[in-house]
Amino acid sequence: MPILDLGYRKWAGGRSREWMRWSVVATTGISLVWRGTWLKRFLLFATFPAIVTMFGVGLFEQSTRDENYRAMFNGFLSSRISPIGPRNRMNRSRDRVPIIAPTADIATQRHLAWSHMLLWYFRYPQALWIVIVIGLVAPRLISYDLRSRGYLLYLSRPLSPQGYVFGKSCVLFFLLAMITTFPALAIYAFGLLLSNDSSAFIQTWDIPFRILLATAVLVLPTSAIALAFSSLTQESRFAAFAWFAVWIVGWVTYLVLTGSAMFNEDDALKLQQRWLLISPYHVLGHLQEEIFGLLPENRHQVGPWILCSVVSIAGFGIARSRVARMLRA
Amino acid sequence: MVKLALSSVGDRERSVTILVRLNSQVPNVIDIFGLTKHYAGNFALKNVDLVVPVGVTGLLGPNGSGKSTFIKAVLGLVKVDTGSGTVLGKPWPRNVKSIRDEIGYLPEDDCYILGLQGIESVQMMARLSGLPTTEALRRAHEVLDFCDVGQERYRNVETYSTGMRQKLKFAQALVHDPKLIILDEPTTGLDPTQREEFLDRIHALAHRFEKSVLLSTHILHDVQQVCEHVIILVRGQIRLVDTLANMQRPSRSGIQVRVVRDAARLAESLRNENLEVACDNDTDLIVQGETSMIAKTVWAASKAQKILVERIDESRNSLEHSFLEIVSEKNHAHS
Repeated sequence: MPILDLGYRKWAGGRSREWMRWSVVATTGISLVWRGTWLKRFLLFATFPAIVTMFGVGLFEQSTRDENYRAMFNGFLSSRISPIGPRNRMNRSRDRVPIIAPTADIATQRHLAWSHMLLWYFRYPQALWIVIVIGLVAPRLISYDLRSRGYLLYLSRPLSPQGYVFGKSCVLFFLLAMITTFPALAIYAFGLLLSNDSSAFIQTWDIPFRILLATAVLVLPTSAIALAFSSLTQESRFAAFAWFAVWIVGWVTYLVLTGSAMFNEDDALKLQQRWLLISPYHVLGHLQEEIFGLLPENRHQVGPWILCSVVSIAGFGIARSRVARMLRA
Repeated sequence: MVKLALSSVGDRERSVTILVRLNSQVPNVIDIFGLTKHYAGNFALKNVDLVVPVGVTGLLGPNGSGKSTFIKAVLGLVKVDTGSGTVLGKPWPRNVKSIRDEIGYLPEDDCYILGLQGIESVQMMARLSGLPTTEALRRAHEVLDFCDVGQERYRNVETYSTGMRQKLKFAQALVHDPKLIILDEPTTGLDPTQREEFLDRIHALAHRFEKSVLLSTHILHDVQQVCEHVIILVRGQIRLVDTLANMQRPSRSGIQVRVVRDAARLAESLRNENLEVACDNDTDLIVQGETSMIAKTVWAASKAQKILVERIDESRNSLEHSFLEIVSEKNHAHS
């Protein structure tokens, strides 16, 4: 046997299970996107809203046992940066949604206060970060492979087109979990640590599950749309354009169509319900309000749930069929 | 080496190849029957029955003959209309995913993952075949050394030259130590030295490491250099499956003689000895007849005529000649 042999050598060893091979697509994708400097910066900035929310939760917990903090919390409720600030409270009061009031027995409102703050966290700053981060990462995920025919390398191994698409989706799931799920769970854990008794856990045990469900509702349709766009073109800039266009056009159209509500408060609810499905942002917001238990009963709709399910199935289906079709070319 | 007795029967509607193995101990790597695949009404493969034995097999055919479709069908990358059989002893196409674990595929297309370094690409392919992460990295270095990729392995693959990409794809095909290696136009874009080295590697893999290789190519020289068996595919049908030696055997025995000059004078002298001689130029001639007998006559005639003989070989058909004959036969049939 030679001391040094650079020739070919046989290999025999244990192999991972075939049904887990999608994890290679996921980890390779994550390691590739992680090299982007801008992505890391955005992820860093995306943690700032969590700090604001943690501050709100901390202040709430302190106000339950300290009069001085109670005054500060009342001030926070009235401030512009507050997740449950004056405008939000006014709208919710109009819609007859329970609101947090600076009452003497503030501890009984813990579930409501935490839910409000987490909803604000998901609904406003993180929704924006999700749109930006997906717009930065997702367009390249499949379109680059279509351009360089990299899918042939993946699929010549024991990996199906659906495994490939799932692996690519996991790249987005991971990034979105870093923006939403992990910080939201950290906010919840922070609240528990600051609460003065163990009853806090009993009062709020369902909130982690609501966080996970809210994440799923955010992540599945958005990833599906983004991957479908990415699979439809070899030019990632077209996919990025389509992605941002869907959000901006939906948002603007919704605002225009519900604009008359500014002059007639009575019609506001009716118009918002009628045109809700036009704007992805408002559909997701509606669902999150429902998940966190902050939606009035008279505003419950099945349309947004159906729309999200259809978009998710159709998006992943398009991505899968595009990849499978490329093999035949 | 498996010795094959082989006959081939072809008709215009369907090609049937009967391959009889004398050594039944060694199973074939591919046994596929009734393989049909069509795209938008055109048949890419039409009722193909094919047996690929152990060893290096050349898959030849003109453009659009269905070679790549056949390879993709074996790998399960395209859905076939009909067909069944076994690949590496596993039921095909039912177990196509586990079959892929034992096949190394070098695609014809220029394909790579944007943003990855060479070493990362090979490691990723090893992991896709189930190797643990660290072992995949070690193995990736090992095969890149074998494929003669030096420090370039740390560069991003999109900066590679065509030759480097071919080497990289070869390393990716080998990294999981497959039993069957399918190479689709592997020497495209390589310079002559790289090509020779590439063919040497294929030869070493087949003979020292008992790998079976299916080599799809247009370059007949490559087939002549490394292949033991040849399959010719024309318009989605198998036209021939044979050993290279059989293909090159002429219909009549004889010898090829190369002289320094005056081949015509030597030919005339041999004709006077009642031998059948063909002479196209001033240096080469082909003499028909029983090899051992005519060799002596040729020596005697050259001595008498004072003509210097450079070389005497057993007469062989050229692969080019056989290939063109088979392809043109099919074209005539269609016209």
